[in-house]
Amino acid sequence: MGSSVLPTNTRPAMQARAGLRTVLRMLWADKLACAAAVFLLIVLLCAILGPLTLNELASGTNLRARNAPPFSLERGVFFILGGDALGRPLLARIIVAAQNTMAIAASAVIASLLVGATLGLIAGYAGRWLGEVIMRLADVIMSFPSLLLAVIVLYVLAPSIANLVLVLAITRVPIYLRTTRAEVLEVRERMFVQAATVMGASNRRIIFRHILPVILPTLLTIATLDFAFVMLAESALSFLGIGIQPPEITWGLMVSQGRQYLTNAWWLAFWPGLAIILTTMSLNLLSSWMRVALNPTQRWRLEVGGRKHG
Amino acid sequence: MSRSMLLGSLFAAAGALTPAFAQDASVTVVLAEEPDLVEPCMATRSNIGRIVLGNISETLTELDVRGGEGLKPRLAESWELVDDGTWRFHLRQGVTFSDGSAFDAEDVKHSFERAGSDQITCEISRYYEGIEITPTVVDAHTIDFTAEPAQPILPLLLSLLTIVPSETPIEFTREPVGTGPYVMTDWTPGQSITLERRGDYWGEQPEVARATYVFRADPSVRAAMVAAGEADIAPSISAIDATTDMDVAYPNSETTYLRIDHSVPPLNDKRVREALNLAIDRDAFIGTVLAAGTEIAVAIVPPTTLGWNGDIEPWGYDPERAKALLAEAKADGVPVDAEILLVGRTANFPGATETFEAIQSMLSEVGFNVRLQMVEVAEHEQYYSKPYVQTQPILVGAQHDNSRGDPVFSMYFKYHSEGRQSGIADARVDELIEAATAATGEKREALWRELFAYLHDEVIADVLLFHMVGHARVGERVDFTPTIATNSQLQLAEIGLK
Amino acid sequence: MKSMLGKRALSSFVSLFVLIVLVFFLSRLTGDPAALYLPVDASEEMRHNFREIHGLNDPLMVQFGRYMADLARLDFGDSLRKARPALDVVLEAFIWTLWLALVTMALVAVAAIVVGSIAAFHVGRPFDRFASVLSLIGASAPDFWVAIVGIVIFAVNLGWLPTSGTGTVWHWILPIAVLFIRPFGLILQVVRGAMITALGSAYVKTARAKGVRNRPIIFVHTLRNAMLPVITVIGDQAAALLNGAVVVETIFGFPGVGKLMIDSILQRDFNVILASIMVTAIAIFIMNILIDIAYALLDPRIRA
Repeated sequence: MGSSVLPTNTRPAMQARAGLRTVLRMLWADKLACAAAVFLLIVLLCAILGPLTLNELASGTNLRARNAPPFSLERGVFFILGGDALGRPLLARIIVAAQNTMAIAASAVIASLLVGATLGLIAGYAGRWLGEVIMRLADVIMSFPSLLLAVIVLYVLAPSIANLVLVLAITRVPIYLRTTRAEVLEVRERMFVQAATVMGASNRRIIFRHILPVILPTLLTIATLDFAFVMLAESALSFLGIGIQPPEITWGLMVSQGRQYLTNAWWLAFWPGLAIILTTMSLNLLSSWMRVALNPTQRWRLEVGGRKHG
Repeated sequence: MSRSMLLGSLFAAAGALTPAFAQDASVTVVLAEEPDLVEPCMATRSNIGRIVLGNISETLTELDVRGGEGLKPRLAESWELVDDGTWRFHLRQGVTFSDGSAFDAEDVKHSFERAGSDQITCEISRYYEGIEITPTVVDAHTIDFTAEPAQPILPLLLSLLTIVPSETPIEFTREPVGTGPYVMTDWTPGQSITLERRGDYWGEQPEVARATYVFRADPSVRAAMVAAGEADIAPSISAIDATTDMDVAYPNSETTYLRIDHSVPPLNDKRVREALNLAIDRDAFIGTVLAAGTEIAVAIVPPTTLGWNGDIEPWGYDPERAKALLAEAKADGVPVDAEILLVGRTANFPGATETFEAIQSMLSEVGFNVRLQMVEVAEHEQYYSKPYVQTQPILVGAQHDNSRGDPVFSMYFKYHSEGRQSGIADARVDELIEAATAATGEKREALWRELFAYLHDEVIADVLLFHMVGHARVGERVDFTPTIATNSQLQLAEIGLK
Repeated sequence: MKSMLGKRALSSFVSLFVLIVLVFFLSRLTGDPAALYLPVDASEEMRHNFREIHGLNDPLMVQFGRYMADLARLDFGDSLRKARPALDVVLEAFIWTLWLALVTMALVAVAAIVVGSIAAFHVGRPFDRFASVLSLIGASAPDFWVAIVGIVIFAVNLGWLPTSGTGTVWHWILPIAVLFIRPFGLILQVVRGAMITALGSAYVKTARAKGVRNRPIIFVHTLRNAMLPVITVIGDQAAALLNGAVVVETIFGFPGVGKLMIDSILQRDFNVILASIMVTAIAIFIMNILIDIAYALLDPRIRA
């Protein structure tokens, strides 16, 4: 980008700014990804600021506003999405719940992704024996019912959010592990990796420079969809008393509490469910944008201009 | 389970959707859970009792839940007190079991001994705990029951004992044999149970010729099945779904309350317990979180029970007085700021979580420091039954079911100092329970009345909340009115066809 | 190939043993089944008696030894609650689950590969965008929503399908439709991603440069190269279905192994827990072996 003509001392800053501008331009080129980014930013703001500002409003019960229907401003702007079974404004609750939801889902997904991918890399790259042990471990975890795991954790340890994340993360590890290994097996046979090996590149270099970039997109795709799964699975476990307890709240818990009202007051389960869907979609759209933006052979699609596919 | 059966179910003709016998006298009942067993001696368990009681198996006596006539004869034609501890039952003659054998006194004796045997774990035996009962066959159609100590309500206790043939082995059976108007003809685990009418039943032939029970865990699906005409009766649907004119509300004999362990401060202080009661706006729940028709409870048993005391004033909602009581207790050094754990059971009843959330918020409002913890059934049991968790003051939200007409089935367990779920140890309460258990007639009723008032007003034993209602959906083809006992039994003979 | 299968069978057997040991001891840490089985006001004597009948009063190692000895004779013990052999209870349910999983996964695999590939050939075009968004909505929508709304619309309002239960082919439509959605979304995304990568790879470009304009040939070659991650994800999703589809089984009254497992865990019916885990685990191990064979067939280099 012609940066070589600039004096060396200003290069890093300029480069960063130019890089940011490029990123933003590429984001702008993909309108859907752009909307997704904006939505995620809003969710993030809600997660940070929500509990600080709206906690009172979100937990104040008012049985007269029980199951108040949506799209009415009569009770104030926070009732625009309706009220829940105890007459608490759904909008305020969704905003406040963003924090717990995001914290749990993100830590569970990231933990399982990191552990799973690492083990998968080892299983695919290290010796046969170690690989075999890791794969059979994955088999054991896959066959171990997550509910049983949760009940055991509940009785042996104690109900806490950290333990909830532990249960969720353990049950999701095999997915990443197996996917990573499968990709590694495939990629390491490819020409450029073989070439790098022949040329004496270190294992670490091969993994980080050649293998990881190829398998990352698949992992990210699965991780974004796992977000939705974890958000809903978490609520199934709070049934056991592990994890988030009322009056604390998450989107998954709101969805499952609204379940019994599905045929009469659909909005109780619908809005938090929609929040889950939109968050998942945004993450996925952003990750597929990233996959294009990070891939040197694909990037032109965004740089040329999004008109053709925006 | 054969492959052909599966293929058959996969590829069966679509025509099978509307059964060929739709016109005849068959009904489909959709229940929440499939019973693990269809074992007569387990009929006190509601999911088994609904299928077995009065349909497959019969009892010597029967409590009239429709007419209010009290205890009625069924397999016993009459009974009398021979001496202080002995009751004599004259059995009905000409009765046969569904396997063809004749019913006599030996069957009654065997049924009783089988239910109490330590070779199997029949549930009924818990009602005879602490009582030595000896059955003695007098002749083929007369049997004596001698109880030590004397049991004035022995005939009522025997309304729980289902009669099986004397050949029945002392192990759980999956092919129940009884004297009832129906016999089980099919049980496909996971799918359905079918009962068919017997031609040789001793009594009047019921209208319904065949009943199929299917099982759906989700209440809205049960409601939908009746709406779609796939089932005729759903005895228990969610209040939220009960919005059509097919739906009937009925008191379901469950009472919701918060059990207090009086030995842990600050709950050992009567003012604190009064404040708990005054802080809850019970009226606000009814018609909102809980169904309309729910009643405020002043006793742990429903109003249809002997000795229920209508003179007791329910605790009103008075947050100011509650705050004042707390302040007073605090001035006397009672640790009213201690965190109180409120334990609720998930899915205990429709709206359970919301109910406990609202209670938690109401208690916090007057200054209690309450943390809510919803737990699953196994963990709830650890809090509910002795030995108690006493690491901190705990309120246990629970439901108790007594549709059997007499408080004896509740009071010992819930209030006697030895009771497994009793939070109190009060000498006067123990005395009253023991005296009432041994008394008969008006004296018995008066003692129970006195006990209820004493527990509610003087001891403030717990936070009594509500007598609950259930909702049934009844399809257009059939005529059925649920009763207070519908939770525990559903006699097909009481179903009419239109 | 034969030696590979032998090794796999052996190592799977070892995993199964580890699984049994873990489940046996860990599940017994989770409370007393007598307290759950008997009514709350049952006496301690009744509880003791219940444990005695089911051998739960013995030391854990004795119980374990007895269990393994029985297991060696293929006796999985009786259900604590149902007074029936645990294996019968589980197999009855598992056959339903197996059928449901097979039919659903077959449909999902075909649909996801077709739609995902078409989307990959048309990256960024309306078809791609539409398929992606729709599959994403499906994959992240709570399944009980879809199930209950499906019943209300198709069974109650329209009357086209039965609400729930089993019996005819019509009964299978709603459960399969609900089960279809999530794996379809996930696998479609993976197919699309893998196809895009494969289309961008050197050999496809070479083929195109050499003038191979025949779409089917390009499609088959690309697909073959994109298949490894796809098969892995299909396998994982199938495994999830073999573990039982709890929501679908619960709502539609479908007598599968998922609800059985949940119920037996909540009721601490240890023998049924163990039997159902073993049966599903064996099925999953067999499936994983099949997947490894598929790897080897698709990509002979992996065998090395």
